[in-house]
Amino acid sequence: MNCEVKSKERVGVINPIFTCQPAGAQYVSIGIRDCIGIVHGGQGCVMFVRLLISQHLKESFEIASSSVHEEGAVFGALNRVETAVDVLLMRYPHVKIIPIITTCSTEVIGDDVDGVVIKLNEGLLQEKYAGREVHLVPIHTPSFVGSMVSGYDVALHDFIKYFAEKSEPNGKLNLITGWVNPGDVTELKYLLSEMQIDATVLFEIENFDSPVMPDGNVVSQGDTTIDDLIGTANAYGTIALNRYEGGKAAQYLEKTFKIPTIIGPTPIGIRNTDTFLQNLKKMTGKPIPKSLVHKRGLAIDALTDLTHMFLADKKVAIYGNPDLVIGLAEFCLDLEIKPVLLLLGDDNSFYAKDTRIKALQEKVDFKMEIITNADLWELENRIKNEGLELDLILGHSKGRFVAIDNNIPMLRVGFPTYDRAGLHRYPVVGYNGAIWLAEQMANTIFADMEYKHNKEWVLNVW
Amino acid sequence: MPYHEFKCSECIPERKMHAVVKGPGEDITMALPLGYLNTIPGSISERGCAYCGAKHVIGTPMKDVIHLSHGPVGCTYDTWQTKRYISDNDNFQLKYTYASDVKEKNIVFGAEKMLKQNIIEAFKAFPKIKRMTLYQTCATALIGDDMNAIADEVMEEMPDVDIFVCNSPGFRGPSQSGGHHTINIAWIKDKVGQVEPKITSDYVINYVGEYNIQGDSEVMADYFRRMGIQVLSTFTGNGSYDDLRAMHRAQLNVLECARSAEYICNELRVRYGTPRLDIDGFGFEPLSNSLRKVAMFFGIEDRAQALIDEETARWKPELDWYKERLKGKKVCLWPGGSKLWHWANVIHEEMGVEVISVYTKFGHQGDMEKGISRCEEGALAIDDPNELESVEAMLSLKPDIIFTGKRPGEVAKKIRVPYLNAHAYHNGPWKGYEGWVRFARDIYNAIYSPIHQLSLLDISKDEIPTGNGFVTSGMIANAGLAEEVISAGDLRQYSGKYDCVSDLKNKIYPDFKKVTEE
Repeated sequence: MNCEVKSKERVGVINPIFTCQPAGAQYVSIGIRDCIGIVHGGQGCVMFVRLLISQHLKESFEIASSSVHEEGAVFGALNRVETAVDVLLMRYPHVKIIPIITTCSTEVIGDDVDGVVIKLNEGLLQEKYAGREVHLVPIHTPSFVGSMVSGYDVALHDFIKYFAEKSEPNGKLNLITGWVNPGDVTELKYLLSEMQIDATVLFEIENFDSPVMPDGNVVSQGDTTIDDLIGTANAYGTIALNRYEGGKAAQYLEKTFKIPTIIGPTPIGIRNTDTFLQNLKKMTGKPIPKSLVHKRGLAIDALTDLTHMFLADKKVAIYGNPDLVIGLAEFCLDLEIKPVLLLLGDDNSFYAKDTRIKALQEKVDFKMEIITNADLWELENRIKNEGLELDLILGHSKGRFVAIDNNIPMLRVGFPTYDRAGLHRYPVVGYNGAIWLAEQMANTIFADMEYKHNKEWVLNVW
Repeated sequence: MPYHEFKCSECIPERKMHAVVKGPGEDITMALPLGYLNTIPGSISERGCAYCGAKHVIGTPMKDVIHLSHGPVGCTYDTWQTKRYISDNDNFQLKYTYASDVKEKNIVFGAEKMLKQNIIEAFKAFPKIKRMTLYQTCATALIGDDMNAIADEVMEEMPDVDIFVCNSPGFRGPSQSGGHHTINIAWIKDKVGQVEPKITSDYVINYVGEYNIQGDSEVMADYFRRMGIQVLSTFTGNGSYDDLRAMHRAQLNVLECARSAEYICNELRVRYGTPRLDIDGFGFEPLSNSLRKVAMFFGIEDRAQALIDEETARWKPELDWYKERLKGKKVCLWPGGSKLWHWANVIHEEMGVEVISVYTKFGHQGDMEKGISRCEEGALAIDDPNELESVEAMLSLKPDIIFTGKRPGEVAKKIRVPYLNAHAYHNGPWKGYEGWVRFARDIYNAIYSPIHQLSLLDISKDEIPTGNGFVTSGMIANAGLAEEVISAGDLRQYSGKYDCVSDLKNKIYPDFKKVTEE
């Protein structure tokens, strides 16, 4: 077998690929309208995550903290949650949904967040906020379990579980995007609209690419509504694009409401987008229109210009969110690029059983490594000390110094990508995403050829 | 000085004591906002935690150290590569971060064994690095891991390594300030006095409370070296672990950020009798006075004056060019802790701007005392501000610019207020004479940005100027200037390079012969 799947051998982490679960829950929470989350823990658990997401999106948005200090850590901090809910409701009259997101500290001290939600529902909300629609959603995301990826999965599941309510069929499809950018949502909605499919997109985050307007203050927020969430139980089908970011919620809907469900593939590249469209067709009975044949043709045209002349046999390492990494690797193979190293940054035991990873193991005809529970030292150590040669790195901004210090061109993709301008605006999914990815990979390699005087004259004629 | 009640905070009356307006003829003796109290849950405050105060602010600038956090991976990840504190050690401290990666089973069965394995692994991965700082987090504090015992065990087994333990979990205190205190005291208690340094000058200082943001401390160290002063250690920007273990051998502690690092200076005075001298690297006058004070302590005033004269002659005409163009511009000075008083008066004096509001996220009342006494009449001072109050203040005060953090800067952008990053700077360093001009330049470029001007127009109803294909910042600035100012031949725009720090590394300094014996 050419492709090996193994876990990082070291127990510790040097330069992590992911942050922890509450960050994923927070990213979910900002996708919902009239929702401000309360993170139950120390203030850093919010302040830094807000900084991280705002660096990526170049936007601000609101997430609150229960501000657990020393006495709370010692004597229990549920009173901090009660105050936080009250203060938030008093000062933000539009707020209807408050997820209460736990952290390592409040899980270790065993704060009964579910209990305090019942208490608030029966007490404060009835007494002080009677007549106001308020939903308190406990979300358990201890930082010592999983990663930001599983935090996203858990939070999405918990929101769906809380809201989804069976009534009449709504004639809609549930499309669960996973952890994507505003630009991806735009592309997915474009594909849906070309197919004339009415869908509930979780989450509607396009407005995190928000304008500076001549009047007043603009606060970026998601546009997924309570009705959208309730209605997920009444869809005729669910497609979850990412297994690890939304798969759990899709399975819940399937099991509880018998909704036909397809999980995956992440529509990165032509082939996976083709499959996505086939799945849409299968689920809706609607034909794939000529306009998408045209769009696909544009993408194939763009890729043909690049693949065998410039991209073939280039060796790439990819790290980041698992569905993204696998999708990118599959796309690279279609482009004749060799993904020689994939790094998945947490210890999810399911990775080894993932059919996509099994397929890589069975079919890849060059030496390839897939590292689970990986950190960025797994990448850097191979380059610095074990002779790994790479032509390109695909990954997020936290790995920038691996590329910079080892003179390897790198295309920023995933989350976060704060060290490049505007990447959240562009899709990596769909046909437009395929064009963007391939052309950016090529341009990244071209710029590197010029800096290094490595056959830069090749581009005199193209 | 009346307390200021924000409309958005009327429902949380305890907030009223946290904001004041500096009324006509009033001073800080009349009222002072409360400070450094527990945060109101759910208020969307901008505070961080005590872990970040210790690890992220003070620990990590140390340049030759493995910075390992004992806990789940998030604390480490979140406080990694979000600062601009550089070093001359190829930025090792920025590039590498380490987490013991505590998982559920470790929470249940204890994480001490895996911590030890972690430490050994980290040293093995970086064989040239022999120093480590270990940071506690919320999770490992609560399960009660004895990190000191593990550190001692490793040091016994690996005699060439040294490990510093900082027990400052995130919940320890109302804000990051608690962490500053903890790491200050832990360092002097556990590490100072362990290394005997080579003394190369008659005049030896520690430079304390300076974190080398974009090269600040390298700029200041350059001045000290030109005066023949040995900078034994910097606490902690561009600082070396072993140099900092030798802090007890300095003759003077020169303190920059009194908010985050006065504790260690006070302890050094108690334990070793080393005097503390508070200085200020921001602004021509405060900086010149600071250099004179340090020089006076050693009796080398002439050296300081020569440097001050040279730097002032080189850079003052450039500062004044900006001052002419920034006069009367309204500033919200909204940093984290000490910069409100470092900057409040001097940006008014030397750049001509009006400080209409100050706030502090983690400052104490002492910081507010200094800040309020230095800002303009009518200014609004806010302790532990929150999101809604900040927006309300910006909408009512209508500042021309705001100095704050990255994410609040995004809020300001949407209200069409230009922002400069008060923590990481836009194009720093901002300390030193040249740095101060760079600060003025950044303010000018923000306020007079043609794009910022365009953001104020509503194309659906405003009169839109269509005659110009472009406008320069200069054209906008000149519109409000007298002709003799525009044509003043003795003033000029900033003329330095994009990177004004790197060249300092190769600089050769005058050899002041050491006179005294050790």
